[in-house]
Amino acid sequence: MIPELFGRVGVLIVLGVVFPALPLIASFAFYLLRRRPQNPDPVKHATYECGVESEGNAWGQFNARYYLFALGFVIFDVEVVFLYPWALQHGILNTDALFKAAIFVGVLAFGLAYAWRRGALEWR
Amino acid sequence: MSALRMGRRLPRRTVPRALMALGALVAIGFVAVNVAIGYVVIDGRLDGQWYDVRDLGIGVQELREWLDDRNAQQPGILDFLGQHWISYAVTALLGATGILSIVGGALLILIWVERRLIGRMQIRRGPNRVGPYGLLQPIADAVKLIQKEVLMPRGADKVLFFLPPALIFIPMIVAWGPIPWGAQMAYLDVHVGILFLIAVSSLTTLAIFMAGWSSNNHYALLGAMRTIAMMISYEIPLSIALLSVVLLSGSMQLSTIVEWQSTHNVWLAALLPLAMFTYFFSSTAELNRTPNDIAEAESEIVAGFHTEYSGMKFGLFYAVELGNALFVAALTATLFLGGWSLFGLEEWIPGYLILGAKISAAYFLLVWLRGTLPRFRLDQLMKFAWQFLIPLSLLNLLIVAVEASVFARWEVKGIVSLGLFAIVNWAAAIILVREWARRMGYRPEREAVRQPILTQGVGGLQAARRLGAPEMGTQV
Repeated sequence: MIPELFGRVGVLIVLGVVFPALPLIASFAFYLLRRRPQNPDPVKHATYECGVESEGNAWGQFNARYYLFALGFVIFDVEVVFLYPWALQHGILNTDALFKAAIFVGVLAFGLAYAWRRGALEWR
Repeated sequence: MSALRMGRRLPRRTVPRALMALGALVAIGFVAVNVAIGYVVIDGRLDGQWYDVRDLGIGVQELREWLDDRNAQQPGILDFLGQHWISYAVTALLGATGILSIVGGALLILIWVERRLIGRMQIRRGPNRVGPYGLLQPIADAVKLIQKEVLMPRGADKVLFFLPPALIFIPMIVAWGPIPWGAQMAYLDVHVGILFLIAVSSLTTLAIFMAGWSSNNHYALLGAMRTIAMMISYEIPLSIALLSVVLLSGSMQLSTIVEWQSTHNVWLAALLPLAMFTYFFSSTAELNRTPNDIAEAESEIVAGFHTEYSGMKFGLFYAVELGNALFVAALTATLFLGGWSLFGLEEWIPGYLILGAKISAAYFLLVWLRGTLPRFRLDQLMKFAWQFLIPLSLLNLLIVAVEASVFARWEVKGIVSLGLFAIVNWAAAIILVREWARRMGYRPEREAVRQPILTQGVGGLQAARRLGAPEMGTQV
């Protein structure tokens, strides 16, 4: 059952590579048949920034607030991964599993409230 | 200058008699075929046969058994791969090709549908020049994009610049696998369906960041960073909203969730309104479509992560965006709107047609959102995710968890408990959304009500009259 499904994912991935490759190959074939232009030009291949000369390299330093949100994401995503098995077995488990999960979510909610209070959830 | 543009009416063509007769014949034939189908369905003669078009999975199963029998009689050279390798390969290729052709065909039509619908919503006509009703517009677009010169900025990372248009396609097409189109028509019926979908669909972010980073363009990198910030933020409420579906139905397998809705004769949308709202809004944010398209906001950062992409590579990004939107509509229809089931009507109408109708309805909602709402700012979107959707979805999760334990233990199953849950959840959803929004500073009574000002130009005049707007401006 399981390897069979892996194989099916593999077939889909192969088709997902082949399908977008077709128009790209068609485009290249049009170039070989001289049906589409290819006239390289230094201005044409410049970085497009609304006609303004590009200042330096884009691969530089970046605003740190993006990383703050990434940290929050990691914490909450791990939480969700822990919650899925509990949710799946919820009908079988005892009632105290509900309280344990509530405590687990409560700790995270407390963390969220703390981050909110400290202003980490504001985009400034 | 055509007659349409001059404002004159085109001469109406009369329908020839032969055509009318043909139409009548077709109508009679349609009714006759339907009566015959109805007879066969009531008779039960169709159930479980390979020609049962209501569920193509049965036919595939029969094909599989037939191939296995044949292979057992005549062993081949490749039999070290296992006893069922022929039937397995044939059915896998069949299913994958089916999914790819449905999605690919839908993409071609959707380009036209979406532009037409948005045109109507913005009181203009939309594409109507290429072919009848502009139906050939997608093909014209494709030809134009293929013929375009391929450009790559000098500073770009050569390899990484070429990969994303192809890579972004894979998660889109793989995500379509687990969607069940009928009782036995799921191509990839994984037990961890919802987790699988969350994992696969978040891979799109990688391709987008690859595109933005490799362009070596400030706008592109900014767009990619914004995409990541937003996708990251909306992934959490999305997963928590789907948790409540798992809690209530007790399964992560999509086909089981649909069967749960089918046996209990209820849509999860009626039971979990807040979860559905959270899921739907979060996924529109993940799609980068207009209410939340800060990743490619034209007026701010040119085109975001695909600023430097032109020609067919841009076309692929566009197609994937539509395909992902369609996938979100499909997942909404499957998880919250009952999937292929429709209160017993699936006996009569093929399940895939029912699912198609539901997908279209959900997709129309997406287009409607896109045509109606203006773009949100980045800080508004982040605030909405972290301070509104996440706390609300956590509260909703606790409510649903209590309900799920009651549902698993209470003897009176069915309409009593589910009806009670529906009432409680709707009340909770309305109160929570309203009060939390007021807590965040939403005060509708303090804002002045503004009358819409409508232009009375070409199409606007009719709309203005229909809405009863005061006459103003000059008629063009």
